[in-house]
Amino acid sequence: MPNLSRRGALKLTAGMAVLGTLGLTGCGREDGAAAAKSSASPVGDSPATGTVTVWAAQGDADVLDKVIKPFKSANPDVTVKFTLIPNADYYTKLQSAVAAGKGPDIAQFFPESQAQFLDPSILQPVPDGLVDPNSFFKSLWDAGVVDDVAYTVPWYAYTYALVYRSDLAKKAGVEAPATWDEMVPFFRALQSAGARHGLAADIGWDIFNGQDVAMYAWQAGGSLLSSGGKWTLDTPAMIDALKYNASFFTSGVADTATPTFLDAQPYFVSGKTATMITGPWVVGQLDTAAKKDGWTASHVATAPLPAGSSGSVSFSAGGSWGVLADSGNADASWKLVRHIAQPSTQVAQYKAYSSLPAVVSAWDDPAIKGQPLLGAFLTQLKNTRTFPQVSTWQQVATRIGKEMEAVARGTSTAEKAAAGIQSYADSLGTGAK
Amino acid sequence: MTTTSVARPRRRARRTAVAWLFLAPFAVVFLVYTAIPTVAALGFSLTDLRGTDLKHPFAVDFTGLDNFVRLFQDDSFLRDILNTALFVAVGVPLTMAIGFALAVALNSGIRRLRGTFRTLFFAPVVTNVVAVALIWQYAFYADGTVNRGLDAVGLAGPNWLDDPNLAMPVVILLGVWRNFGTAMVLFLAGLQAIPDDVYEAASLDGAGKWRQLRHITLPLLLPTTLMVSVLLTVFYLQVFDEPYLLTDGGPLGSTESVALYTYHQFGAGEFGMSSAASFVMLVLVALVSLVQFRLLRPRT
Repeated sequence: MPNLSRRGALKLTAGMAVLGTLGLTGCGREDGAAAAKSSASPVGDSPATGTVTVWAAQGDADVLDKVIKPFKSANPDVTVKFTLIPNADYYTKLQSAVAAGKGPDIAQFFPESQAQFLDPSILQPVPDGLVDPNSFFKSLWDAGVVDDVAYTVPWYAYTYALVYRSDLAKKAGVEAPATWDEMVPFFRALQSAGARHGLAADIGWDIFNGQDVAMYAWQAGGSLLSSGGKWTLDTPAMIDALKYNASFFTSGVADTATPTFLDAQPYFVSGKTATMITGPWVVGQLDTAAKKDGWTASHVATAPLPAGSSGSVSFSAGGSWGVLADSGNADASWKLVRHIAQPSTQVAQYKAYSSLPAVVSAWDDPAIKGQPLLGAFLTQLKNTRTFPQVSTWQQVATRIGKEMEAVARGTSTAEKAAAGIQSYADSLGTGAK
Repeated sequence: MTTTSVARPRRRARRTAVAWLFLAPFAVVFLVYTAIPTVAALGFSLTDLRGTDLKHPFAVDFTGLDNFVRLFQDDSFLRDILNTALFVAVGVPLTMAIGFALAVALNSGIRRLRGTFRTLFFAPVVTNVVAVALIWQYAFYADGTVNRGLDAVGLAGPNWLDDPNLAMPVVILLGVWRNFGTAMVLFLAGLQAIPDDVYEAASLDGAGKWRQLRHITLPLLLPTTLMVSVLLTVFYLQVFDEPYLLTDGGPLGSTESVALYTYHQFGAGEFGMSSAASFVMLVLVALVSLVQFRLLRPRT
């Protein structure tokens, strides 16, 4: 469950990195990092050589060593060394290594939370012509671009969509909701068909919920940052988003106490809950939760997220790769990244781990196209945006999650919460010193 | 004569060198993992250091006491100080009372099974806290064992961990459950150090069990009581595992301790704020410990 492990990963950050560099770094403000290059020299087609060290988070990367076998066969003089780090510690260890200048050649990132790494002092720009930026879902590619320089290459993709109990919907005689206004009535209908709660709200009152509310603000026509780089969070769209989210709890179709994460799928299977707003990995796990092959096919359907006044936009997330500025073998590293971005490799990765491709054309492969429940995710992936590529976004999103809790529990109003989020975000700025 | 006068300082110097040699492993570890990070954290608390200053942790602006000012203007931090005070005010006496009562029971009554019970009561102390917290979470959540039990006798159980008024008692209870064994073992050791003949003499003078407890046990246990209360106070002032694992400080921040606030700030990349909060915690722990030592030290 990538999102769950990622919760942990985001909770832990790089303080020790800074402590660990005590004595390794000179004091005083430096003259500034090297100016960002607008492009990097192209990578040729000669075979890769030498050793390439790769750090990745446990999960989707577990199968990568097998997936890149064709690359190793075609490049016999290259040695690829993988280090898989538990998700919860991944960013902590990576940032520590970056700060100490002891990082790998290639590191995995998460497009939704990688902004702090997108700097020429940390990552090398993606070489010209290495990959076709237009071959990826746009928002995933954009998540790696700062000041017109791309630092990461997307690897796998996910977004959120509705996953609901089709059997209960049929029993209640309702179709999947297409607009915000249809959401609560749809959940109520599922409850009338036997579900205890129409929606299984995934609650931590944290960064992930903050991201959900930000997504609703987009759906309501809002933006999070102005073109001038100022936070725009105390807006009618944000207020609408907070109210929309709170309506699930105040109307009784979701509960602030259910379910704990280990129960999310058993609850769904048993009918205690009937809808999840979640990622595509769930589709592949429900048969296991139901202890019955084929249960998902006969009980579950998916749909894109219902549209607000500004459409059915979601956020893009997944995995990506970057080559560290300190890499001693950048040429071979980029060649490996290029190989991972090929449609055939992306399909192999899907077959090995169900990681959905970041390359759009790979979705045409029969292995993926033949999965009806993935269609809604593909539709949604074509309509996603990137969270603000500023280093303080994680903190701001966490604050949105906290304020959202107060609104959902009725101890604050959406207006007060939006104002609180704005003043907090203003006090933080965007991280640029 | 001259040789001995020269030899003595040499011998002393050698003894000092040997002492330092034995101290060296601890001193190095203490220096690297405690002293230097502590000084560094104090330095960081006076800067605007954030998680984004990865490559240049010292290329930051000196902001003086700004972080401390921000800290005390932050409603959640003030709330967390009160939460932590509640952990101490309820957790310490409750843990000590249970630990002491069990120690007295084990010391006087069931002597034959003392070892067995001591092991049983001490088990929570050495059990993995993550596993324990997970079990507690499942016991106290909406469909948990506790509510199923209440259901069985016709009572509707509340959402313990989702109610801002009920989550804190559950979190404190977990802290007490994890720590009463430590208090019990320390009290038991203290009780067993009191000579039996003191009690015999008191019995001959006509003192009953209650008077013996008041005039012999409690005064002679004062050093143990001091140690236990300081240990527990320091533990509860720094309480982290229980609220982090059970509720992550929620609902609505009702169980967030100062230590958890520090962690959350740290996780948000606010290293300056996090360092400042940890220093406030250090001062709190130092002050409270000092007061306890003054209040409870034996009057000679």
